[in-house]
Amino acid sequence: MYVKAIPEKCSGCEVCEIVCSMWHWKVVNPRKSGIRIEKKSVVDDIPHVCSHGNECNFECIAACNFDALKKKDGIVYVDYDNCVGCRLCEKACPLNAIWIHEKKAYKCDLCGGEPECVKYCSQDALEVVA
Amino acid sequence: MMWGYGGNVVVVDLSTGEGKRSMLDESIASKYLGGDGFGAYYMNKMMDASKDALSPDNILIIAPGLFTATPIPTAGKTSFFAKSPLTNGWNESVTGGRIGFVMKQAGYDVVIIKGRAEKLSYLLIRDNEIAVKNAEHLRGETTRSTADAIKKDEGNVVVASIGIAGEKMVRYASIDCEERQAGRGGIGAVMGSKNLKAIAIEGSRDIELANPEKTYELMRKYYEIMINHPSFEDDGKYGTGEFLEWMNKEKGTFPTRNWKEGVFDERKEIDPYYWAPKYVIKNKACIQCVKPCGKAFVLQKFDGMLDGVEYETLYALGSNCGVGSIEHVAKANELCDLYGMDTISTGGNIGFIMDLYENGIVGREEVGVDARFGNGEAMLELIEKIARREGIGDVMAEGVKRAAEKIGRGAENYAVHVRGMEPPAYDVRGIKGMALAFMTSPRGACHLRSGAYALELTGKFWKFEGVDRFSSKNKGEEIASMENFMAVYDALGVCKFSRGIFLLNFQEMLEAVTGKGLSEEELEKIGERICNLKHIFNIKAGWKKGDAKLPKKIHQPIPEGVAKGSYVSKEEEREMLEDYFRARGWDKNGIPTKKKLEELGIEEFMK
Repeated sequence: MYVKAIPEKCSGCEVCEIVCSMWHWKVVNPRKSGIRIEKKSVVDDIPHVCSHGNECNFECIAACNFDALKKKDGIVYVDYDNCVGCRLCEKACPLNAIWIHEKKAYKCDLCGGEPECVKYCSQDALEVVA
Repeated sequence: MMWGYGGNVVVVDLSTGEGKRSMLDESIASKYLGGDGFGAYYMNKMMDASKDALSPDNILIIAPGLFTATPIPTAGKTSFFAKSPLTNGWNESVTGGRIGFVMKQAGYDVVIIKGRAEKLSYLLIRDNEIAVKNAEHLRGETTRSTADAIKKDEGNVVVASIGIAGEKMVRYASIDCEERQAGRGGIGAVMGSKNLKAIAIEGSRDIELANPEKTYELMRKYYEIMINHPSFEDDGKYGTGEFLEWMNKEKGTFPTRNWKEGVFDERKEIDPYYWAPKYVIKNKACIQCVKPCGKAFVLQKFDGMLDGVEYETLYALGSNCGVGSIEHVAKANELCDLYGMDTISTGGNIGFIMDLYENGIVGREEVGVDARFGNGEAMLELIEKIARREGIGDVMAEGVKRAAEKIGRGAENYAVHVRGMEPPAYDVRGIKGMALAFMTSPRGACHLRSGAYALELTGKFWKFEGVDRFSSKNKGEEIASMENFMAVYDALGVCKFSRGIFLLNFQEMLEAVTGKGLSEEELEKIGERICNLKHIFNIKAGWKKGDAKLPKKIHQPIPEGVAKGSYVSKEEEREMLEDYFRARGWDKNGIPTKKKLEELGIEEFMK
């Protein structure tokens, strides 16, 4: 299961980022979001979000030297006890879907199975793929 | 801890390159909320309003709304403030985009910029780091290339920039905030006068809320209301121009050919019902917005792309210039964005010159192009001239009021403005409450300080009903109340297109975000305080009762359409204004009484 983004529909509102940081960390901070919108041009907004192995080969897990990226029930998540923010995962990810903020990695963990970002995307630019 | 706020105020002096940071005063926050309120407070506190708008003594303030950078949907707005070089009075210019959001994340609720940099510069704010950096290499660059270049050098910043029009101090130059604009009143010319090419901000901090769970729940509630609203689909498809046909056909108040007519017969192509399916590739939203009115528009005949075209621009660079070709209107819109010029005033000035041209007051040689109404190519050429202040463009860059004075020969009869500000797309001859609102708006002819057009045209909104747009009676209380209402929106940073949904029911949201809820009555009082402060700034800048005056064209009847025959007489103009002063608790000359100032707790600002 993963969140699939459709850039052609993304309005660039960043509600997904706000929702994600609120749901996980109870603060507003797009840098702590597991989904990120890249603004490429006036008409181009590209959401980046983890495919949990569906469009990649778990490069982040392979790259991590600290056992901070783990897989459980098909979900790749960050073990914050181990993460040191070394950026190896960030460099390795082919989808640009993991990033470091204040020495910690942030990525999508599917909110326990019902991704919040998908619920609040008013343009239907995000969908859950089983 | 001030929940929901960035927590600090910073004053940057461009003359020395230094920034001084202080904590946001909690009592100021509770008295003024944010955004518009902070602008009203600090403009009065920090600036000598009598100084010239293009001198280093002017100050430029940026203040995001209180709800900006929170989960509250459609509340991501940010305001820019300065004395206006167009009206010589109060100016505020509200934008969408992300600049205010990251500014709060950097820890600032108010950025105050004073002085003048020696060379063309940009201001960098990155959390605690504040630097004034060289921007000479960006001179003459478009807003888009400026933002791209600064991002290349500085990384993950959000950029507010001016184009060549701002550098040349076109009196209606805008600030571009990455495709959303702080458009009105020449706020970009103020940046130009300060040698400030851009402001680049990066913020990385958390915005903490008093009750995150409750805020989340409220976000969910309003998200559902908004996306299930009957207008959600069409608003999204057609954007702000959705009602263009309605304004023409049902209301007869779509200003056309420099306010000669109220119906634009050649409107087929500029109606979004025509162009949206053909040119729009997707919707574009401001940050925090779940019902985007922005449109990603890709031109076909011309090269270009933009976020637009908005309703006001469809009038200004469309009907007001008699131009019915959507490609020309959209291209003109893009040029205005790239050069950094307000589309409304730009269209106002071009329509004015076209009117003079058609009436033989200016000739081909003087204008340099065949400035007939409807000539889209001429419109594009005039935009180039204005942005660079070349030829007639140098006169037009001054705005219609000053241009008419320079041209003479009776040109002032064709100059449509209030206090120098070219008006937006509401033919107020058939919307009399809005005629009053044009006169009383603190920044000159403006639709957004009161937003009363919707109330006037539909007859009801909020606490008003049975409003007759063709009557000039009882408009004082209506406009004053609507101005207070809208000031609350600008203080909170809430988009005015959500006013029908939220009204002033912000108590729960305020409590969840800041820990302190405010009732509708308390908010109205804050709105009133803000409106009075803006007016006080204008008085200190030299405002006189006689300045609140309608353009001559408003005294002539609308020639055809549903509103045919309607106009505002001089007597109605006077009566409405007196009625408004009474409703405001001001004296007969429009000066706030001591009693009113004390009641609002702002007597210190007017001694």
